[in-house]
Amino acid sequence: MEPGAEHQQQLRSLRDFLLVYNRMTELCFRHCVCNLNYRLLTGREETCLDACAGKLVRSNHRLMSAYVALMPSIMQRRVADYETSVAQGSAQEGPAAPAALPGAGAHGAPLDLPAAPGPDGPLQGAPGAGTSHG
Amino acid sequence: MDPLRAQQLAAELEVDMMADMYNRMTQACHRKCVPPHYKDAELSKGESVCLDRCVAKYLEVHERMGKKLTELSLQDEELLKRMQQGTGTT
Repeated sequence: MEPGAEHQQQLRSLRDFLLVYNRMTELCFRHCVCNLNYRLLTGREETCLDACAGKLVRSNHRLMSAYVALMPSIMQRRVADYETSVAQGSAQEGPAAPAALPGAGAHGAPLDLPAAPGPDGPLQGAPGAGTSHG
Repeated sequence: MDPLRAQQLAAELEVDMMADMYNRMTQACHRKCVPPHYKDAELSKGESVCLDRCVAKYLEVHERMGKKLTELSLQDEELLKRMQQGTGTT
């Protein structure tokens, strides 16, 4: 990978990680912090926050694994459907120039999705972050 | 992309994320401390104190989450290294 593209990828990973971090903070705060009579966190709140953080990280890993497992077949199906429709269209029109395959981004899915598990994604941008282990 | 530009982008990203965090914090604390009655435009003492404490707690939660995320990420990395070493020696 070129250094420029690698930097872009790293920035994207970092951005994803920071977004997840902010969402986690908001979610866990909303759920666990109920007692605003004190400035400091209570023991109960601390326990809840630790559990919340662990649960969210693990569920994020699991979601990522499931997504990576399912997405390639969905993309393949989409490509096959598109190719079929293009072939049908060009057969009807005659020897017209077939349209180029539009970016999968038109359907909202990223083109650079790797087929193999263990992509760079949320929580991978953390310093020394690991990959999902399912 | 040269490293300086990458650094600049990373700094901009951090500023964006801090702004995002601030917005979420505002929303969360408003929801917790200011009941939607709106009889009076002024903040009551209870609401003011609640907001102060809420901000303090939110920032502490944010710090705690950061540490926990780093800790869990490092654990994952350790596990992955051990797995890779295990497959390497067999």
